[in-house]
Amino acid sequence: MAAKKKAAKPARKAAKKAVRKTKRTANSRKTARLWLMFPQRLITKPVVWELSQKFPVITNVRQASVTGEIGLVCLELDGLANDVKKAVTWLERRGVSVEPVEINVIES
Amino acid sequence: MSKNSGFMKALKCRECGREYPLEATHVCEFDFGPLEVAYDYDKIKKSLTKDALAKRPHTMWRFRELLPVAEEPTVGTGVGYTPLVKADRLAKWLGVREAWVKNDAVNYPTLSFKDRVVSVALSRARELGFKTVACASTGNLANSVAANAASAGLDSFVFIPADLEEGKILNSLIYGARVVGIRGHYDEVNRLCAEIAGKYGWAFVNVNMRPYYAEGSKSMAFEIAEQLNWKLPQHTVAPMASGSLLTKIHKGYQELIKLGLAEDSKPVVHGAQATGCSPISAAYKDGKDFFKPVKPDTIAKSLAIGTPADGFYALKVMKETGGASDDVSDDEIRDAMKALAECEGIFTETAGGVTVGTAKKLVASGKIPAEDSVVLCVTGNGLKTLDAVQGRVGEPDEIKPSLREFEELIESDTKVKTK
Repeated sequence: MAAKKKAAKPARKAAKKAVRKTKRTANSRKTARLWLMFPQRLITKPVVWELSQKFPVITNVRQASVTGEIGLVCLELDGLANDVKKAVTWLERRGVSVEPVEINVIES
Repeated sequence: MSKNSGFMKALKCRECGREYPLEATHVCEFDFGPLEVAYDYDKIKKSLTKDALAKRPHTMWRFRELLPVAEEPTVGTGVGYTPLVKADRLAKWLGVREAWVKNDAVNYPTLSFKDRVVSVALSRARELGFKTVACASTGNLANSVAANAASAGLDSFVFIPADLEEGKILNSLIYGARVVGIRGHYDEVNRLCAEIAGKYGWAFVNVNMRPYYAEGSKSMAFEIAEQLNWKLPQHTVAPMASGSLLTKIHKGYQELIKLGLAEDSKPVVHGAQATGCSPISAAYKDGKDFFKPVKPDTIAKSLAIGTPADGFYALKVMKETGGASDDVSDDEIRDAMKALAECEGIFTETAGGVTVGTAKKLVASGKIPAEDSVVLCVTGNGLKTLDAVQGRVGEPDEIKPSLREFEELIESDTKVKTK
């Protein structure tokens, strides 16, 4: 138990340091490469335009395939890390599924 | 970093064909298409002959010319060459003339086909100078990365969703891997893992090492062909999660044809999914070349990928080879697991149940003609998904230490034949 406590202390320190670091990097610039999947009800909506009106992020469509059933858009988002994060959260609330460009990183 | 590239030529975009150096990179900068390893087949042809193969040890590395390493492999040198079992009793259950089971449930060292891809990824990672390897996984991949990294003396990080069952975490922790649980819903965890992979200078096996990693699956096809005495199977059924295994089995067969090691008998490749997560099979049935993402709900957790990265390519392969796709319910998966165990003595995890169950459906619908021969790819061990069959395979009988009680028991059991 004592050994566990000893080990926990530096771990806590490291965690605090990591939090400080995160705070510092929150406002650094970031480019996210994302695959957006639009469900049928959103296909005709100007979601990417809405996004660029709401958040100070640069949107860059790099690939897209839009049919009557589904919209697949590969989008680059460039901006401050916080704004990119907020933009992604907004997209998800709007009903768009947002994957990294790799699509599925978590495997079985 | 080694300057030698062995039998590899370059990394090539699967969409636009642009070439990239053989580094730890995975998407095309131009169109974000996935990168794939391109080989120098003329050079391979001179080195990979049946005579040369006869002298090599029975591991997947017999086919090293067709695997993306520059030098001799250094990680997982004992992986592969799992049994190809002639499954006569299972063939009857399936309703087909001949069936074979490629049994990666006994792959070395972690009892799943992932050992193939991981040993390739880690061998290549070492060549590229990496000291730390990582993956994002909920099961077999994590176990395999942790075990193979341990034996190679590499540091390993395994990222998991924080709510993963304890048993699955233990299977990675035992090897000394650093396991990091991430709180949040699946998509958030997925995006963070991609970000971590991009930010840290690690070999993330299924991200920046993906072009090398995925090639390891081809070894399953090479072994099947050699074990069938260089005759390609008429039909192969592979489970589909991302769809990568199916596309690589096809690539493996085509490479053997290209090298003249096997005759082009037009091998057909079929894909199997669980109904609770069947985006590729659904697209096949609807005749579409794209899939709609789904939220997985199936006991076949190792196949539960709702947005399969290689789904498009898997559909293309099935179309090209005349293959088909189908899916099976959780109950059908359990029935198939039982059938494989009872007919052949092979206990597979749920993914194997998906393959066997789907094969039965494909035979019933005539997609696999009853007079043909089929190879089933069983990719993992049943001991890893005990919970899926818990309470569904009957209970043991219990008696007092008395011969009379035992005799009463077997008399009442019409199934037991006494001599």
